Amino acid sequence: MTIRSQIDGNKATLSPEGRIDTITSPELEEAVAKLPEGVTSLTLDLSQADYVSSAGLRVLLGAQKRMGTAGGTMTVTNVCEAVRNVFDITGFSSILTIA
Amino acid sequence: MKRRLIIAATMLVLYAVLMAVAWTIGTEKAAESTNAQLDYAVIDLHDTVAGAIDTMLGHVARTAVRHIGSAKPMSLERMAAGAKELDIDEVNTVDRSGRIIASNDPHCLNVMMAGDPVMEPFMKLTNGVTATVSQPFRPHARNPAMRAKYLAAAFPGGDGFVQVGLDERRLSRMLPSILGYIFDEWLLGRTGFFLCADAATGKLISNPSRHRDEASTLSEAGYDAATASRYEVVADGRHYGTTFVQRLFGEKCYCRAFVFGGHRFVAALPEREFYSARNTYASVLGVLLFLVLAAFAWFADRVSSDAERLRAFYAAEEGRRAKDLLLAETIQMAALPGSPPENPCFRLAAAMAPARSVGGDFYDHFQLDATHYAFLVADVSGKGITAALYMMTAKTLIKDAILAFRSPAAALDVVNAELCSNNPANMFLTAWVGVLNLETGEVSFANAGHNPPSAFRNGEWAYVPAMSGPALALMDGITYTPRQITLAEGDALFLYTDGVTEALDSSKTFFGEERLLNALKAVKPPEPSSLCNVVRAAVTAFEAGEAQADDITVLALRRLAAPRIYSRAFPPSIDSIAAATEFLDEKLSENDCPPALLPVLNVILDEVCSNIVKHSGASTFEVDVEFLSNPPSVKLTFVDDGAAYNPLSHEDPDTTLSAEERPIGGLGILMVKKMATSVSYVRKHGRNFFTVVKSNA
Repeated sequence: MTIRSQIDGNKATLSPEGRIDTITSPELEEAVAKLPEGVTSLTLDLSQADYVSSAGLRVLLGAQKRMGTAGGTMTVTNVCEAVRNVFDITGFSSILTIA
Repeated sequence: MKRRLIIAATMLVLYAVLMAVAWTIGTEKAAESTNAQLDYAVIDLHDTVAGAIDTMLGHVARTAVRHIGSAKPMSLERMAAGAKELDIDEVNTVDRSGRIIASNDPHCLNVMMAGDPVMEPFMKLTNGVTATVSQPFRPHARNPAMRAKYLAAAFPGGDGFVQVGLDERRLSRMLPSILGYIFDEWLLGRTGFFLCADAATGKLISNPSRHRDEASTLSEAGYDAATASRYEVVADGRHYGTTFVQRLFGEKCYCRAFVFGGHRFVAALPEREFYSARNTYASVLGVLLFLVLAAFAWFADRVSSDAERLRAFYAAEEGRRAKDLLLAETIQMAALPGSPPENPCFRLAAAMAPARSVGGDFYDHFQLDATHYAFLVADVSGKGITAALYMMTAKTLIKDAILAFRSPAAALDVVNAELCSNNPANMFLTAWVGVLNLETGEVSFANAGHNPPSAFRNGEWAYVPAMSGPALALMDGITYTPRQITLAEGDALFLYTDGVTEALDSSKTFFGEERLLNALKAVKPPEPSSLCNVVRAAVTAFEAGEAQADDITVLALRRLAAPRIYSRAFPPSIDSIAAATEFLDEKLSENDCPPALLPVLNVILDEVCSNIVKHSGASTFEVDVEFLSNPPSVKLTFVDDGAAYNPLSHEDPDTTLSAEERPIGGLGILMVKKMATSVSYVRKHGRNFFTVVKSNA
């Protein structure tokens, strides 16, 4: 899995490519963990993501909680229909800020 | 006065003479009739019991052959366990040279059968043609006081055989179920009955319903063994003893008795049934004589009493025959297989409508292995209970032979040899036996004198006339020619018995092959259940109220588009999830799966596989990917041998909680359930089967 990471002061954007599932989620989790302490605005650009399984949701939930604790925000962008469907089913649509 | 005296004297003399003549003739006729009925009864009784035991033992021996597989040494314990399971006294595996190489009896081990005058007949089984050999009850080798019966069945190709032995004690336990029906339902005259008792102890095994609980032994029933022993015989299928008199249940009876398999069978006919009529008529004759109508009355009396006796005899016979037919029909219907299994490669439907006087039609179908399915239709000559029992034997033989030899023609060679070797009633049967290769659509078949089936190929119905040989059981040593046809996807085959083509209308015209073909042509598409229904309806309409003359049997089979199903097994590691994903992607792309389904199927696979890998404790798991066409959908089945776990039994997590309140986990199954079109779970054979279908709707 390729994850492009762009950090600009307290803003960061992560753009994972491909599947976000049991196999690849640990990599995304690691990318989130590696973000500098000062990041308070995280954007997850899912334009290149094929789908998200529950393992991926777990990472999104962890990232959301981290931003919340730091008083920051997390935004998910460019959600395709398959991923949107997963968010709807699991109630994540109401937890996440989707732009 | 003198003349009157002369007349009176003459009348008296005439009366005495004529009474004596009438008495003698009446007695003779009654004895003849009694004798004939007893003869009929004991022959039927012996043949039915012997036939049932032979059928049962034959099935046991062939089952043992299938279980053992080939002539190889096996431990005493395994053979003993096998004997116990088959409920039999002795099981011996004998190799081609005639040596017993495995047995449940240590004394039998290494005994040579070849050269032993008693056992030599079994060596026929190594010629590759004879399938079973049966011996009558004879004294047991090590315990001559007891008698035992042996029957053996060959391994395929005559490579040794399995011999099973049944001793009289075990027979005692089995007999009541065979005899229950006979003793309660068979009629012997109006008031006659049958008894069966252990030959050594005299203990009654089964009482006639009329005398139930009146006696527990033959002597309690009044049977005088010393007198009877002069008249009874050890049944050998030819001699059935002579009639003698006994007082049974307080009534003078005419009896026949024979000993078979350690048991004494008695048929008894109370005297009063036959002689009361004679006595009554003799008295009437006296009165008529005094009216000087003696000669005429005597004549009329004889005629009427004979007619009465015949009427009674035929009424009893008809009652018995009606009950026999009911039993025969029950046997015939019970022998039919259940519904065919759900199989994506083919559909099969079959039906049989027995005629009023039952014939011996039957059909059968069963799976040989994952890629072969056997089906057949057969017609036994003759009617009634004999045909029904013969049908049972033939059906078992054919099924056992196909399971052993797999080729219909090779199976029929053996069935024919077997049926020819023991066919006292000169019965025969025609059969069409096919084995469908589910992958290629090839049907290998053999036709033993049966009506040609009709095949739907290239959009056309046509008869398949190829024969393999004559009807079964007609001639020994026949080699049936293997035949084959190929069914493309969507093609169909229709089998039937002559009850269809030889159905008659009111002007005695046959239904015929042309009408059958037209009926078949009208069914579009040629769905098996429709084919069967339409043909049966066409025959019924043709008969237009005429009684159905013969059994009508139909069987239709249609090959379906081959299913696209792929399976792969994986070890339960995290890496396997990636491998399973790759496997799924490969099959989805090969089968042009609609793109909209890809992410959904991938998520489902990911969720279920990660659950199995992390939580099931399975030693392996399997993923099946199947493409269904109607409606277009993909079916994923996950099989694992881990702990029993039904993912559907869990409550769904609360998806309305906020990010902070939310526990991690439980979402995967929820997603699967919500995204799939249908989900199901079953636990069988110690494995979890979780099935998910996603259709492209």
